[in-house]
Amino acid sequence: MPRGLRAATALAAVLVMLTSCGDEEPADGGSDSDPVTIEVTFENGTVDPSGERVEVAVGQRVDLVVTADTGGEIHVHSKPEQELEYAEGTTTLPLTIDKPGVVDVESHDLDQVIVQLEVE
Amino acid sequence: MNDILAHGIGGSKDLPIPTELAVAGAVAALTISFTVLAVAWRSPRYDAATSGRPAPAWLARAVDAPAFLVVTRTLGFAVFAFAAMAAVLGEDRLTNPIFGIFYVWWWVGLVPLSLLLGPVYKALSPVRTINAAFARISGSDPDAGVFTYPERLGYWPAAVGLFAFVWLELVYPYSTELGPVRLWCAAYVAVMLIGGALFGSTFYARADPFEVYSTLVGKLSVWGRRDPDGENLLVVRSPLANLDTVDVRPGLVGVGAVLFGSTAFDSFKDSSVWIRFIQNSETISSSRTLVDVANNLALLSFCVGVGLVFAAGTMLTAVGPETRRRDLPNQFGHSIVPIIIGYIVAHYLTYLVEYGQQTLIQVSDPFSNGSNWFGTADWKPSYWFTYHPTLLATIKVVAVIVGHVVGVVAAHERAVRLLPKKHQLTGQLPLLVAMIAFTVGGLLLLFSA
Repeated sequence: MPRGLRAATALAAVLVMLTSCGDEEPADGGSDSDPVTIEVTFENGTVDPSGERVEVAVGQRVDLVVTADTGGEIHVHSKPEQELEYAEGTTTLPLTIDKPGVVDVESHDLDQVIVQLEVE
Repeated sequence: MNDILAHGIGGSKDLPIPTELAVAGAVAALTISFTVLAVAWRSPRYDAATSGRPAPAWLARAVDAPAFLVVTRTLGFAVFAFAAMAAVLGEDRLTNPIFGIFYVWWWVGLVPLSLLLGPVYKALSPVRTINAAFARISGSDPDAGVFTYPERLGYWPAAVGLFAFVWLELVYPYSTELGPVRLWCAAYVAVMLIGGALFGSTFYARADPFEVYSTLVGKLSVWGRRDPDGENLLVVRSPLANLDTVDVRPGLVGVGAVLFGSTAFDSFKDSSVWIRFIQNSETISSSRTLVDVANNLALLSFCVGVGLVFAAGTMLTAVGPETRRRDLPNQFGHSIVPIIIGYIVAHYLTYLVEYGQQTLIQVSDPFSNGSNWFGTADWKPSYWFTYHPTLLATIKVVAVIVGHVVGVVAAHERAVRLLPKKHQLTGQLPLLVAMIAFTVGGLLLLFSA
């Protein structure tokens, strides 16, 4: 391999290493902080919010406060998956995610993503 | 949208890569590209007839022995028979191992296996095995068909087959129900057997989507064949020299465009941008059909878009009198393969490791009745990669950049071989821009995933 190419590869490797060292801090500090509350409203076959991103910490409690005109089920695409049932009226569904990742919280009745939890 | 469906099996997805890494990756891609252009060799280096060293004699003897093929084909057929059994007799639920075997082991597992071992699917191919069995029964030659495979078809049937797969995986809403998967596999086997009967085994090398994919990825392994005097010698080559030996045929760019476009679409469709667009547009979200149409159009646009950008990048150059400009996209087609592989590693790594393990657990209980055939049923998958997001993000960016470097060098080699001397540098620029666009686009998708 010619020298220039090798130099470029090395440069790339260094760049990548430098930046990845910068943000190595684990975000575990936030695990015990206050629960995040997400208000979810089901009305006339629609849901609010719809497809929004919410950042939470690993192990942090997330309260889904669901207000619905009919009962139904929420699927949480974590590893492993979780299913949460809610009734007509207001129901609070507590939830924690124990692994980093992006977790879709979906209404399977409506076939829509309610929120995506960005778990760090 | 249902990514439990779209991804074969549900669960959370990787975190987006951090901004610093994405930017560093993009800067590296730019720097490397122009460095290669400035300092790399000026006359062709790779020659398929002489490159590589002969593999150790014992290895070549073992691999070329008829018994070797019998062993690999038996293995391939055993997995195929197991999958068929689970598909036909198993229950229609996500714990049925057929989904993991189909979407994870077969589709994604093919890539690392081929990278390590070369064209594995050819050695395992159950459809080649069945074709050979039919030929034996009827006393004919499995390599010969009724007709000669039309040259102009090239790899196009494989590109169509690959699109059929990604369509099922990514946009078909019922992709994790047993019926559709079973039907898809049955159609695949049927088409392959008819094609094999009509055109002989050439059909598998050019039209079997999985074999074409695997053989293409296998060109980035160190294992090659050299055939100066018809001896078909097993050689060990640098992946770059090996990549240079990809068979150039019509449809090569089509195959690359489907692979890259669909993987990019897979990232894109899980992004908040697309989900919000689909769900919050009054018109689209009002009907399931329109959502499907939007997803189908987006998948198709990604694939066609990649193909067009690549074709434009290769054709925007002056050529000598002996070269036809419209042949250029396929002549350079191999150079997109490493970029695809880098991106596929980034996109699928956790998926393969975690759902690959889950599938290994599920194969012990193919009928969902609590049995433990292989003693793996009570294993627990390790989520090690998920717990190390920074390392994971670094691996992803490094994979994308390595793919980019190899792609750029491969294109450079082809340019100094094909293009007239005075256009070699300027002629490479459009393709370089296209490749940077792919790589930076890929990083952007990983960043906004």
